[in-house]
Amino acid sequence: MSGIRNLIGLVYEGVKDNRLLWLLIIGFALFPIITHFADLPFWNDVAMRIMLLGMAAMGLNLVLGYGGMVSFGHAAFIGIGAYCAGISQFYGITNGWVHLGFSIITCGFAGLVIGYLALRTSGIYFIMITLAFAQMLFFLFVSLEAFGGDDGMSIDRAEFGFIDLYDPLRLYFLIWIALVVVGMGLMFIVRSRFGVTLRAIKSNASRVEAMGLSPLRFKIVGYVISAVVCGIAGTLFASWQEYVSPDIMHWTRSGELMIIIILGGLGTLAGPLLGAIVFLLLEECLPLLLGAAAPAYAENWMILFGPLLIMVVMFGRGGLIGLLSQLQVRRNARSDHRGP
Amino acid sequence: MTLTLILEQTFNGLQAGVTLFLVAAGLTLILGIMDVVFLAHGAQVMIGAYAAAAVAAATGNFYIGLFLAIPVTFASGYVLEFLLIRHLYRRDHMEQVLATFGLILFFNELIRIGFGPAALYSDLPRSLSGFVEILPGAPYPIYRLWVILVGLACAIGIHIFVSRTRIGAMVRAGANNPEMTAALGINIKILFRFIFAVGACFAGVAGMMLGPITAVQPGMGEPLLILSLVVIIIGGVGSVRGAFIAAIIVGLIDTLGRVFLPAMLRSVVDQATADGAGPAVASMLVYITMAVVLIFRPTGLFPAKG
Amino acid sequence: MDKSVLELRNLCKSFGALTVTNDLSFTVEPGEIHALIGPNGAGKTTLIQQIYGAVQPDSGQVFLNGREITGLGVPERVQAGIGRSFQISNVLMDFTVLENAIVAEQARLGQSFRFLRPAFSDKSLKAGASKILSRVGLEDRAMQPASDLAHGERRMLELALALATAPKVLLLDEPMAGAGLEESQRMTEIIDQLRGQVAILLIEHDMDAVFRLADRITVLVEGAIIATGTADDISNSSAVQAAYLGSA
Repeated sequence: MSGIRNLIGLVYEGVKDNRLLWLLIIGFALFPIITHFADLPFWNDVAMRIMLLGMAAMGLNLVLGYGGMVSFGHAAFIGIGAYCAGISQFYGITNGWVHLGFSIITCGFAGLVIGYLALRTSGIYFIMITLAFAQMLFFLFVSLEAFGGDDGMSIDRAEFGFIDLYDPLRLYFLIWIALVVVGMGLMFIVRSRFGVTLRAIKSNASRVEAMGLSPLRFKIVGYVISAVVCGIAGTLFASWQEYVSPDIMHWTRSGELMIIIILGGLGTLAGPLLGAIVFLLLEECLPLLLGAAAPAYAENWMILFGPLLIMVVMFGRGGLIGLLSQLQVRRNARSDHRGP
Repeated sequence: MTLTLILEQTFNGLQAGVTLFLVAAGLTLILGIMDVVFLAHGAQVMIGAYAAAAVAAATGNFYIGLFLAIPVTFASGYVLEFLLIRHLYRRDHMEQVLATFGLILFFNELIRIGFGPAALYSDLPRSLSGFVEILPGAPYPIYRLWVILVGLACAIGIHIFVSRTRIGAMVRAGANNPEMTAALGINIKILFRFIFAVGACFAGVAGMMLGPITAVQPGMGEPLLILSLVVIIIGGVGSVRGAFIAAIIVGLIDTLGRVFLPAMLRSVVDQATADGAGPAVASMLVYITMAVVLIFRPTGLFPAKG
Repeated sequence: MDKSVLELRNLCKSFGALTVTNDLSFTVEPGEIHALIGPNGAGKTTLIQQIYGAVQPDSGQVFLNGREITGLGVPERVQAGIGRSFQISNVLMDFTVLENAIVAEQARLGQSFRFLRPAFSDKSLKAGASKILSRVGLEDRAMQPASDLAHGERRMLELALALATAPKVLLLDEPMAGAGLEESQRMTEIIDQLRGQVAILLIEHDMDAVFRLADRITVLVEGAIIATGTADDISNSSAVQAAYLGSA
């Protein structure tokens, strides 16, 4: 009994320290109510994409923001997760829980192998190697003609027992629950002894060595966890989209994940989710903006995105969360100034 | 599996290899000396290809296209370094990745606006079209042979430059120990800008020569970029010699593997498995090679840093 | 006979044509403070690196309490009982002083692979960490980010973290480097208090500290030992005087 009370206490503490993350997550739970009354069910779809993208970005953030490992290959794990669902469906296995289990095991294994090979290097080597492995997996799936190859294949939504995923609201909340589980899990991990050690390795690996710990072991474990999280996002994504193709693991997707993380705020729990919201909103709004301003070039809205990204990188310290906390600091300073 | 086929594909592999080398040479120096993850190197290939194709189409002369495109790519590298890249040196790798990723998006879209999304096809120059018999009964396209020769000439040129000239010595010093080189009072800023521009130039040349044999289209540089990253991993960051050897190896493995592996597999496993797995394994062959090299030499075959 | 805590046998290391460690053998006895001195370039830091495991000798062996550790990597040697402080402060700059100590404490307890409870708010970890900090008098700086510390305080934190692993032999690589007079004296007192609790191999240029602290002194010149003995032996040794005066 006290074990459960302890757990609830830990959850409460964690939520208190990470208010923005849980505010956003609760926001997502309430969102369908708004779209229901505004009669804009399309936006539920957008929200589901945001949740899935945010989930994957949170997975990558564990190693990128907290662990300091610039892995350019995480889209591969999303892809593996998606194909776990796709290939299972192809062979008539429709149970979503099986898909998830398959995905967790496969991504865990892939993360272990790639992590072991890549994490013995660092810096530029590490980035290039993760990119190369992701590309390798991309080509692997492109060449698997049986599963659609380059064109990909359509699949049915998975069956999660009594939950009928063809009811869009149920799909929405399944994804939402996954987001809650992932968010909770990462929240615990980041604050735990393991998470603290991982962050210490990012700060100064040689000091952690001097404490008698092997940095490589921790990095690999972190890498595997992040791979599994991305895999889960990929599996659910395949069900949502009812389609899998190698495009989901194109290396530019890994770049997208990084963009999301830096937009929201590196090394924070809420950052990736916030970044996903902003990123997908930009994706919807930039074409509209450009279409209004220069209709001839509406299709080329990407040309705004490149320089925007460069601006964020060069001048946007700490992403949106950094911005928010700076505003908070300024507000506190002002209220201090006003005196008692 | 005739001798003719093997010979033809070997030469194709060599051609792919030298093309890769032209892209990888500049990139390995940029990565090794300046420690900048410059993802937009593929865009330099694309700029070179489009510059040459556009000039060739306008003047009707392939060689004038080459001649004028070379200074264009040199200039694009020079200006890019001055405007953006030099601000990235002190940033961490993730920021470099994202900034140069933004550059890729920008350049691809710019080309799309300027030339349209469809591929450009340029003609083979008349003087280089046709076949030559490298062995009796084994015809091979003259153009591809010419590409191999140009690539080798560039490789020799780079080798002489890097090992025999003063600037080359500075480049080698920079690859081996950037901090020390700067401490020796060598104007690092200009050296970096120069290396960058020259690297862009060679990447552009690769693009220019690819024009007549592949599709010139937005985003054409990225597959080459990633493959040249594999080349650099195998060869060793900062090592031009490593890049050359690794590029030839990768070019040969990729070309010969795709052609012969499915057939070879058929003699080992049954037809169905071979036909299914063959292309898959062939496409991954280069990366599997990279993984094997990594197991035994995490820093590549010829690492520059002592 | 009591085993030496640390024993080096015929250690050799060359970098290309340069011999940095020249057939070196010596011991550190339990509870003693053994100073290693010598002119710059004598190979002191490389020797420490070979004991610590960051550099592998070309030949020769390293023993800890009679057990050979020559083939072990750094984390294994630290777990076996080698502690080290670095010449240039090597602390976790992105963490507070207390958090630095907590990471060290949980590492010592072998708890680093736990995923459930928050580490930085754990009462027992905080208590252990406070104890680590009080050994060097840093308790009241506990909440400061390590990057805000003054140089001398950082050297103290460095020492505290080295002690945190409960080492059997402590390698102190110029602990007083760059410290002011007051800080050097404090550091000397703290090291003095450690005598008997843990064997110490001390590299230092500060001769006051060396002569005050050392039970034995070994003089290293160009990778080889030219003298070992008590402080009196060393100051009276003509070989040592020649080496120091000769290279002045």
